[in-house]
Amino acid sequence: MPNNVFTRYLPLLLLAILWEIGPRLHWVDPSELPPLSAVGRAWWSLLMDGDLWINGVSSFINWFFGLGSAIIIGVLLGVLMARSQTIDDIASPLVKALYPMPKSALIPVMILWLGLGAGSKIASISLSCLLPVILSAYNGARGVDQTLIWSARACGATDRELLWEVVLPAALPEILAGIRNAVAISFIVLVASELLVGQRGLGYLISFLGEGGVYDAMFAVVVTVSALGFFADRAYLFFMRRTLLWRE
Amino acid sequence: MERVNSLWKRRFLRSSSIVVLAVAWEWGARMHFVSDFLLPSLSSVLIRLWDDVISGEILTGLGLTLLRTLAGFSMAAVAGIIIGVTIARFRAVRWFFDPIVSIGNPLPKIAFLPIFILWFGVFDWSKIAMVAFSAVFPVIVATWAATENVDKFMLWSAESLGCTRRQMLWQIILPASMPEVFTGLQIALPVSLIVVIICEMTMGGEGLGGTMMTSMRFADSPGVFSGIVAIAIVGSLVVKFMEIVRHRLLVWHQESNV
Amino acid sequence: MNETIFGAGSMTGNGIVFGQVTHTYRPQRGRPVLALDGVSLEVKEREFVALLGPSGCGKSTLLYLLGGFMPIESGTITVGGKAVTAPGPDRGIVFQNYSLFPWKTVKQNVLYGLEKQRKPKAEREQRAQELIELVHLKGFEDSYPSQLSGGMKQRVAIARTLAIDPVTLLMDEPFGALDAQTRTLMHEELLAIMRRTPKTCVFVTHDVREAVYLADRVAVMTSRPGRIKEIVDTKPSNGISRADYINTPEFTEKVDYLWNLVRDEAIRAQEAH
Repeated sequence: MPNNVFTRYLPLLLLAILWEIGPRLHWVDPSELPPLSAVGRAWWSLLMDGDLWINGVSSFINWFFGLGSAIIIGVLLGVLMARSQTIDDIASPLVKALYPMPKSALIPVMILWLGLGAGSKIASISLSCLLPVILSAYNGARGVDQTLIWSARACGATDRELLWEVVLPAALPEILAGIRNAVAISFIVLVASELLVGQRGLGYLISFLGEGGVYDAMFAVVVTVSALGFFADRAYLFFMRRTLLWRE
Repeated sequence: MERVNSLWKRRFLRSSSIVVLAVAWEWGARMHFVSDFLLPSLSSVLIRLWDDVISGEILTGLGLTLLRTLAGFSMAAVAGIIIGVTIARFRAVRWFFDPIVSIGNPLPKIAFLPIFILWFGVFDWSKIAMVAFSAVFPVIVATWAATENVDKFMLWSAESLGCTRRQMLWQIILPASMPEVFTGLQIALPVSLIVVIICEMTMGGEGLGGTMMTSMRFADSPGVFSGIVAIAIVGSLVVKFMEIVRHRLLVWHQESNV
Repeated sequence: MNETIFGAGSMTGNGIVFGQVTHTYRPQRGRPVLALDGVSLEVKEREFVALLGPSGCGKSTLLYLLGGFMPIESGTITVGGKAVTAPGPDRGIVFQNYSLFPWKTVKQNVLYGLEKQRKPKAEREQRAQELIELVHLKGFEDSYPSQLSGGMKQRVAIARTLAIDPVTLLMDEPFGALDAQTRTLMHEELLAIMRRTPKTCVFVTHDVREAVYLADRVAVMTSRPGRIKEIVDTKPSNGISRADYINTPEFTEKVDYLWNLVRDEAIRAQEAH
């Protein structure tokens, strides 16, 4: 088994080795691609200095509140739209019109409204993630099998029980898939908004180090952000599989 | 009778919400509930957009943005389909790409932007490369899954009818996986547009994103709002265009007959 | 209150009466279709009536109206003298696609209706266990529906419906998705259950043999618009068991007779297309 894992991830190991020896042997310019070991050292000192922590926590707060609010509002609105014809009629033309908008274009408007601080970042993330969550909750709740609802009704379920005990669980697979999309978008908008403006956050740290020409440290932060995005997705996937165990 | 009424009510509601919002925007801005700076009136934004169209400024920006998007997207599409097909067919290719794709796909690739600037400069190439890098993964994943999941009874039928292995790829596997591959492309194109706009905003210069950022720096709020309206229109046109192409290409697919 | 829910109303008449039920199906796009046209039918208490007809004759629609899932546009449906207006626990229903809650285990599914009746927990548990045993699913209490075969799923659905002890049992082609062997076994099981807990039953099917085998009377419906074409008595005449019934000439005769009625309608439906 360990042998299997080894062969599976061997290509990554090869790439890492290439990354180390390529710049050292000057196949590529080391100022444009610092060798892996240098990046590792830079990462360690960023960690020890606390730079990574301070900026990481700042990024985490923006991400958490932005994504969290989008999930709560999006699921509520999506389910309401699916269950009420009137709300659907009012909201769905707007949702459909705004859905294809490239989400990153919201960032300047949010900066205009809320300034350069955390507020504009949280709002950008929240608005960008909102539409995919609404749409998945809407589709999920609309797609609930009619006979499932009838079965619950025949057992005497009230409207509210129907919503909590039947519609929401039945829509859950689609809602969770929509949230996974939103997680990916949240990382893009978070990093982009921090790259653009701000005085804190991992995205800011990347652009600050890049402008200062400290490339080994810049690479270290890029790798850190990538790893965080990757593990956030994996952790979410794990959570999603656990929650949907009944599907098999 | 009641049904007819409710049908009209629905039509009214459906068409009215956008109109009501537009009117509320214009009215709210004119009554100065918020300052002109935070919310310029809809009419002033539209007039600004029209002026930019007349002066040709927006067309240059639009052209550049679309050119970068399409250049990066086409590279991602071609590379993604080739890699996806070869992964599904050759074990060595799969061995190499499997961990790279499984790690690269969920990565927030936008964080690599400063690295791409470092490598390719601040002009077109870094933006195009960034788009290609961001958009290639959904195409690979979709193509890989699609080509691997072609119905085996269809392959057997083709084989027994005399289809050679070489013909199999072009005549059976690729057409059969078209719907899924196209879905991958439909995910990749909006991603390309998002990434182009971020790149333009970060690096400045011409293009819709850059112009919008300049307007923001000069506190020119009608400029920011006309920018977002222009970008939103481009976004929906691009999505609509892909839907039409899909419909044309996949006439045989049951989804087209609904 | 208790009378209507638990007592199965053995004293009062708990039959079903359809009076001149008419229903128009209105698709989102396209022309409205007359699905049911003046259907009148009486089902006596504890009688098993099968609704038989070609697909699209509105027999399922009639059942959904009886269930109270769709508004009755014209005509009346009464159960035990009371007009049907909404779904209720006096009418349990079993659907063809099982309609189990996939995120609940077998036991949680069976418990669902009992929880809605606010019965004490101990009683709920005991009743659920009884029903799971009644449908021979002991040992599968904690399985999810996705882990069960089609026949087992349908047995869970039947147990879930019987758990709330409805006065009438509505079945919408319940065995239509099962393979032939499983279907035969399920027929025997359903008859055994009906012997132990007799109920008024309306059973929708397009399988002629199934209808004759299970029902006391079979109501044949015409193709669109659905009307009652003929009602045929299918109770074994000399009191023999259902298992023996299947080998009698009487059974074969009834099947042939009904088959010809349905065949005419199916051909008519195709020509109308």
